[in-house]
Amino acid sequence: MLQDFISAKKSLFESGAHTELRMQRNRERSVMLLAGDIVENTRSDAAGVSARVYRGGRCGFSSIAECSSEAAERVLRAAAENASFMHAHVPGKKPMLPSLPSGCFVCEAINDPAQRVYTEYVRALDSYLVAHCPKLTSRRIYATEDSMEKLLVVSDGTDAHTVLPRSYVYLFLTAETDAGVPVEVYRAFGGERTFDLNFTDPSALYPEIDKLYEQLMQKREGVYADAGLRTVILGGELTGMLAHEAVGHTVEADMVLSGSVAASRLHKQVASELVSLTDFAHTAFGERCPLPVFVDDEGTVARDAVIIENGILTGYMNNRESALHFGVEPCGNARAWSFSDEPLIRMRNTAIHPGKDKLEDMIASVDDGYYLIATNNGQADTTGEFMFGITMGYEIKKGMLGRALLDTTISGVAFEMLKTVDMVGDRIAWESSGFCGKKQPMPVGVGGPALRCKVMIGGR
Amino acid sequence: MKKLELLAQSVLDAAKEAGAQSALCTVEETETHEFNLQSGEFTLLRTLFDRSVQLSVLMEGRKGTITVNSFEDEAIRKAVADCVASAQSAEPDEAWEFDSEPRDETFTEGSLTCDTEKLFTRTKELADDIAERHPKIMVDELITEHKAIRSVCKTSGGVTSRSAHGFYNVSLMYSAHDGEKASSFYYGDTKLAALDKPFIDCALIEWELSSIERQLEPTALDGKFNGTVVLAPTALFEIVLSTVNWNFIGEDALLDGTSIWKDKLGQQVADERLSLSFAPRAEDVVVGARISEEGYRVENFDVIRDGKLLGYALTQYGANKIGGVRAGCTGWHPYPHIPAGDKSLEEIVAGIERGVLVMRFSGGEPSSNGDFSGVAKNSFLIENGKIMNALCETMISGSVTDMLNNVRAISSNVLQDGECCLPFIAFDGVTVSGK
Repeated sequence: MLQDFISAKKSLFESGAHTELRMQRNRERSVMLLAGDIVENTRSDAAGVSARVYRGGRCGFSSIAECSSEAAERVLRAAAENASFMHAHVPGKKPMLPSLPSGCFVCEAINDPAQRVYTEYVRALDSYLVAHCPKLTSRRIYATEDSMEKLLVVSDGTDAHTVLPRSYVYLFLTAETDAGVPVEVYRAFGGERTFDLNFTDPSALYPEIDKLYEQLMQKREGVYADAGLRTVILGGELTGMLAHEAVGHTVEADMVLSGSVAASRLHKQVASELVSLTDFAHTAFGERCPLPVFVDDEGTVARDAVIIENGILTGYMNNRESALHFGVEPCGNARAWSFSDEPLIRMRNTAIHPGKDKLEDMIASVDDGYYLIATNNGQADTTGEFMFGITMGYEIKKGMLGRALLDTTISGVAFEMLKTVDMVGDRIAWESSGFCGKKQPMPVGVGGPALRCKVMIGGR
Repeated sequence: MKKLELLAQSVLDAAKEAGAQSALCTVEETETHEFNLQSGEFTLLRTLFDRSVQLSVLMEGRKGTITVNSFEDEAIRKAVADCVASAQSAEPDEAWEFDSEPRDETFTEGSLTCDTEKLFTRTKELADDIAERHPKIMVDELITEHKAIRSVCKTSGGVTSRSAHGFYNVSLMYSAHDGEKASSFYYGDTKLAALDKPFIDCALIEWELSSIERQLEPTALDGKFNGTVVLAPTALFEIVLSTVNWNFIGEDALLDGTSIWKDKLGQQVADERLSLSFAPRAEDVVVGARISEEGYRVENFDVIRDGKLLGYALTQYGANKIGGVRAGCTGWHPYPHIPAGDKSLEEIVAGIERGVLVMRFSGGEPSSNGDFSGVAKNSFLIENGKIMNALCETMISGSVTDMLNNVRAISSNVLQDGECCLPFIAFDGVTVSGK
């Protein structure tokens, strides 16, 4: 755990300004096995201290790659000087940030498994692939863990010592069609907690590997989607991506202030009445979220940010400054990736709420369309126009699943597409293996149920 | 610099003492000064002082790598021990290798000192220029920075490579707005050696701002057609070059056998007017890479010349694995250079009956076979030789292998952003679909 060099420095905080002083350590562990060979076997640790001084709407920030009392004092001085530079050149007149309740949040220490824990696990999976998946032409296994440990003291708000570990195993499988064309499938397993806790027994993943291999064999016989506007059932993984990329980014307050599509839609109907969406802090539907956040990096105690209720846009995600601008309470969305990063408005666990429909009934209701279940990336625009890569899906013909699809993409405009939702599945699926990119990377959770809706699909 | 060199040597010595037969150590210090504007307003000045020690060791063919950002003795001792333990957990693979040809070199490039006042002045000037010349552009985010990096890389085989370089970077993200009308957002990065001219006059920034300002009222394409797609340099990189670099000539694709170009060396893979090199040492590149992760000197490297495939993006490890030749430069953005053509963008557009000009692409990761599909962002419809309305909700799909052989024209206009030199290229036979 980080040794506390910073709590005693509160006495050095400048009066009349909001100050954050943060010590942080990020660690990453990874092993990549490619065709049986370890091609990546790395560990990294980065730790340091940073300070941010906010005065009148201008910020000074500084960081040093060192955890010490001297480093803490140095960044406080440098951040204050930078804030002064900004005021001297572009004076800011915004009011002080409203005070928040003070408090202190403390987490528990986490393990740091040895590298052999990773290498032995991927070896076991690789042996299973070799023995049980005869038609593979290529296989890649990537085991990884990243964690953020933060010690935060603020001029007002909640001081905190938090840690967020997560670990995953990614499988990439490739086979060739009869014509010799490569096709691939991919899936990530894992979630919050360190690698040794998430992956105790390789055989627990064997049934999942069998399912993935079966999908690959189906994809070998796959067909191109018929391009155009189609009725689809989005699986939960895709709904989660939709919640994050297509809606979530447009309702981040900094994006709103830059003129995102959500700027003019507050309190308006932006989705079907069946759709509700929340950025959950740490608990959703009575269970711990995939990547819980308890206190953000501005010292705000985290709580849920309700975004869409029964189709109506009800709010945005804020930091303390934008919350003041919009006249609302902040919910703890200010997060920084590394010690040298300033907090930005970020999502935490963004999900569309489950509804009442059974997946089987949803598929049976489609005469001619697609069931889309896996994605490898997604992007969205401030206009709400989104694109997701689809790596696994099936035709639906007369209410029955048909042939698998070759890779394709779907697109749409979020607040138009969400109005076409007319069935919502009753089970939520969460995913948390990726990074959200917005100046800095950030681990986030995304979730949702199956949705029946209309989207554009690419193809031939 | 001497301090970094001594530290690198002491880390190598510790690794050898711990049993490493071969080792490579890079020690680096970075200082960053960065201005941020959000929604057109100055918000933040950051100064960052970072450092790192990266050690890779080979122990009987087993490789481990560790990176830490502390120079403290205890942290270094632990890092060496962890690195050795990591290597011991791996399987032996005799293909691993670091450069063992002794050489001693020093690179000094750019200014190592940030002119903070001048950087502020240029940053404000860009914000003011945009507000004056392009009043409908809303700058979502403007980040300007100066980085000074001092590093030393040493290998146990006798390589000592010192580098001290400084550069400026301008990162701009924006969209156009007029009431409730809005364009898609656009972004770009430009690396500069000096602050000698207004930022708006660098790279294609002015052309891009003007184009986005004309995208306030995009309309969805009606139906589907097979036509010509003109890819602006950014979209060219996103669709074609990333597929070539990763799926066709990339080391992973060659090692796992999924590259469809694995047997194409020396063969025609593209139109004979097309050449592609990875050129970190090109004159237009601002502070390109100088040393590889295996300790080899980074050099310019021809990938395709006159349509023929000349090389794969292999490290020494990859080359040893498949019996190939190490490339001069590898990486996710390996300073791509494509020679300009002889027609202006306007002349190329004038010859197109029906097509799309695409500035940015939002697509899924291309398949191993080169198939791609995605949204044509910041795009214009082309009809009867003229640029028409902006498009939204319009997808393009096709095959990169087919496109490389269906080149209609290469522009004389190029983007030079300090890392690449890329023209606009028009490709025939791409599927364009709307609602």
